[in-house]
Amino acid sequence: MDLFPIALSARVSITATALTLLTGIPLAWALARRDFPGRRLLDALVVSPLVLPPTVLGYYLLVLIGTRGPIGRVFEALSVSLAFTWRAAVIAAWLGSIPLLIKAAQAGFDGVDVRLEQAARTLGRSEWSIFWSVTLPLAWRSITAGVVLAFCRAFGDFGITLMVAGSIPGKTQTLPLAIYDHVQANEMPQANLLSLVAVIAVVVLLLGVSRLARLRY
Amino acid sequence: MLRRLVILAALLGSLSLLVSAQVAEVAVFGASDLALAFKEIVPKFERALGVKVTLVLGSTGTLAKQIEHGAPADVFFAADRTFIEELAVKGVVIPETRALYAQGRLVLATARSAGAKLTELRQLTDARIRHIAIANPAHAPYGRAAEQALRAVGVWDPVRAKLVYGENIRQALQFVESGAAEAGLIALSLANVPAIDYVVIDRTLHAPLNQSVAVVRRSRRPELGLAFIQFVNGAEGRPIMKRFGFLLPGEF
Repeated sequence: MDLFPIALSARVSITATALTLLTGIPLAWALARRDFPGRRLLDALVVSPLVLPPTVLGYYLLVLIGTRGPIGRVFEALSVSLAFTWRAAVIAAWLGSIPLLIKAAQAGFDGVDVRLEQAARTLGRSEWSIFWSVTLPLAWRSITAGVVLAFCRAFGDFGITLMVAGSIPGKTQTLPLAIYDHVQANEMPQANLLSLVAVIAVVVLLLGVSRLARLRY
Repeated sequence: MLRRLVILAALLGSLSLLVSAQVAEVAVFGASDLALAFKEIVPKFERALGVKVTLVLGSTGTLAKQIEHGAPADVFFAADRTFIEELAVKGVVIPETRALYAQGRLVLATARSAGAKLTELRQLTDARIRHIAIANPAHAPYGRAAEQALRAVGVWDPVRAKLVYGENIRQALQFVESGAAEAGLIALSLANVPAIDYVVIDRTLHAPLNQSVAVVRRSRRPELGLAFIQFVNGAEGRPIMKRFGFLLPGEF
């Protein structure tokens, strides 16, 4: 059995989830706690990756990060290729999964009593410190739920990845793409085996994460 | 809290650094109807020339878009020559390397589980046939041919309500293979599977499914792409393509 798709999927989904956390948490916090022009619009727009058909979303992304695209050209100038590399798979997984994290984290932040934050403020805490020691710990359960959803979505992404990363064996062929490829070639035993591996890998990982998350909060 | 997250981030970062060796090789992009035939041709080519082939199969339309936007293909085998012509006009493929490599054949397939084995298109009006799978005629070459054939024998209107469209020809086959559709019009090159019976459809009933190939201009190894085209169209490739039901250049 070719182990490459499994290693690639692990690498892509973990990197994408990290990226989703880094970009999604500040955005979710801003949507929950700050009022700025266009907040409602942004609030609605962040779920759009869930609404569009994945291959269509993938095509738009390809137009942006392909060698002819505005973002792709900037990166090419820095001699970094995005489209059809593992980086494209990360971007695809990130785009598909970020709405799930944002919505969950936003609900978590919304559920934190503002008076607790105000109490911390009266005690002279900085906003930064309040975020880390009050808001984030209280919203933690929702955030972990969001991370789990985002990770699973990132791990399982098919349509967006297929379009922007291609399904290049040994290079950008993630586990879902490899499974599909086996089905295409009428190799059902291999497809079944890889599907089983995908499910087991994610279940084991999530069991581990849920333990880790429960340790502290 | 912050420390915990930093440790977590570092852990994630180091995990993501699990790098993989990447070897230079010739990348062949091909239409999904080539799946079975190329599975035999590629290893032969690799042995003959001592190179590694990366085979990427997909729907011709998707692959064409990807190549246009910089996908690292060296050579592109389309299921329909119009895609190669368009890419040539756009300067994406090298016009001088264009070649016809096969003509696809359409078959009338019946799911064994459906009971009735159909032998001609008119029988599709039979009440026992409730779903007929074809590839989407709006963009899939085999779907277009299926529509033309059904119109040619005058059953398009009566069977229209029974049609189910697959995204590509491989999906249409899966509808029949699984028994979800009792019958379907699919590619001969993929039809040799246990769950279905099939008869070849008269090719004068639809416009020819001419499939052509070209070397991609961005290719860094155009000579290898060209060598692969010659291999498929040569003494080694032709018998295999023929066995999977393709008509070959010079024979139609």
